[in-house]
Amino acid sequence: MHRFVRPQLMLRDSKQPLLPRAGHLCTNHKSVVSSVRGYVVLPPTSDEEEKAMLHRMMRVDHAGEYGANRIYAGQMAVLGRTQISPLIQEMWDQEKQHLRKFNEILAENRVRPTLLLPLWNIAGFALGAGSALLGKEGAMACTVAVEESISEHYNSQIRTLMEKDPEKYTELLQLIKEFRDDEMEHHDTGLEHDAESVPGYQLMKAIIQVGCKAAIYISERL
Amino acid sequence: MIFGIKEKSIILTNFDVLFAIATNIHVRLKTGFVLQVAVQGTVSLQCSNVRRGFHRAALLRLASDSKSDTSVPPPSYHEVHTAGESSSSSAQGESSEDAQPNTSFQDQSGEHGEDYETEEQLQARILTAALEFVPQHGWTVEAIAAAAETLGLSSASTGMFNNGAGDLVLHFVAQCNAQLAETLAEQNNQVQLGQAEAKKTAEFLKDAVETRLRMLIPYIDTWPQAMSILLLPHNIPDSLKHLSTMVDDIWYYAGDRSTDVNWYTRRAALTGIYNTTELVMVQDSSPDFEETWAFLDNRIKDVVNMANTAKQVQATGEAVVQGLMGAAITLKNLTGMNQRR
Repeated sequence: MHRFVRPQLMLRDSKQPLLPRAGHLCTNHKSVVSSVRGYVVLPPTSDEEEKAMLHRMMRVDHAGEYGANRIYAGQMAVLGRTQISPLIQEMWDQEKQHLRKFNEILAENRVRPTLLLPLWNIAGFALGAGSALLGKEGAMACTVAVEESISEHYNSQIRTLMEKDPEKYTELLQLIKEFRDDEMEHHDTGLEHDAESVPGYQLMKAIIQVGCKAAIYISERL
Repeated sequence: MIFGIKEKSIILTNFDVLFAIATNIHVRLKTGFVLQVAVQGTVSLQCSNVRRGFHRAALLRLASDSKSDTSVPPPSYHEVHTAGESSSSSAQGESSEDAQPNTSFQDQSGEHGEDYETEEQLQARILTAALEFVPQHGWTVEAIAAAAETLGLSSASTGMFNNGAGDLVLHFVAQCNAQLAETLAEQNNQVQLGQAEAKKTAEFLKDAVETRLRMLIPYIDTWPQAMSILLLPHNIPDSLKHLSTMVDDIWYYAGDRSTDVNWYTRRAALTGIYNTTELVMVQDSSPDFEETWAFLDNRIKDVVNMANTAKQVQATGEAVVQGLMGAAITLKNLTGMNQRR
């Protein structure tokens, strides 16, 4: 998507370089809104290594939410006119919200998005559509597998940040915890809706989780 | 350490005066000891000692001088010295980033107030001064040596720079990028305060690239040499980093907030524009580089055209797909395949 904004009004000390706020923020999403600070969620740091680590984390999280978005899109494309569609739509909307938040973080903190986004676009859609072709149970099984991987990933990020400095990263930790809770909710919803009853559930789950781990690994580096 | 020994020597001489010790050998031994330490401090061949010696010289220089530039720089560079010096002292050789309130301003006053200078600051000062000598000596170690001498240091202080001419060129590039970032931030500030009109993207890019390339004008005769230095294998990572930071800065202030593949395509396009325009500039002989700016204008128009065409193609493609879907549904209806059983 092409997003081009005119920087909005923000009074700042003229000595400091300005970081314009993204003018495209929609006001009805419940994520944390930046006020007069020049940064969003990520604490400002002058340590290059720490900055690189934070940028890497945000990059891979953004890629993850983007992929999850596409997976649900694929599922809706196949199961869009069945009984399960309101549920999938609801989960998809939550993922869209997560993605919006990460887009905001990336834009304001000038984090480079991962180069492989087009790949995750196609792969996510294919996975979503492919699993949905196995029926509603297949779609739920895919959801369970993916959400479990993502929750595990967020948990390890939370652990890393807590180990470093919980106070400095409070806002970031709060955000990741919130998103992790949402993903766990999706995971539980999937289980509730007969994910395990799909034939070859364990195999499917294992394959998808290996794929997710590989995707996370690559996105962190590329 | 030196101060301690000085104090000791004062105490010793006081003792000598007060008690008039008869043993001349004793006095000579003590003073000899002081001299020996002083000698060790400055004449030793070890690098660190030499550097400390230069620091002493630098401290003396700081105490006596007001500003280090002895010759008059081109007016546009006076700000560059302060901006570039302060920014390059915070991160050696890297152009300063945006949001970090770096220690540059403290360094500026710290230089005068505290009489202490880090090695990076000293290197930055020498390199900034060396730019004066580039038209004469080219982008070489000779320019750095000449600059060191004007600052009151020995020309052997070029030993501080492992990369020689590469350090000089990279310092200059970092300085220019920092100045560009500052200019863009100022303009942005003006727009946000409503004091200036926001420019259209194409015009903004053109102005930003022109501003940046104009910084090369004082050194345009020797710039091909600098470009070849930047292309040396061991300099490529640094020069690429500077280039990518600069392009990212320009797009950021142009208002780009994309987080998808456009992030890459836009920066790639601008990198291409910048590099080709730079090449045109070094062989341009028209008055005030008019041909260069015309070339730049055309390239930016090309990119904008391509972007518009891409958008049109996408829109057309979407419309076509919708048309095909409609046709498929119609067919399904006609053949009765759409009815549920």
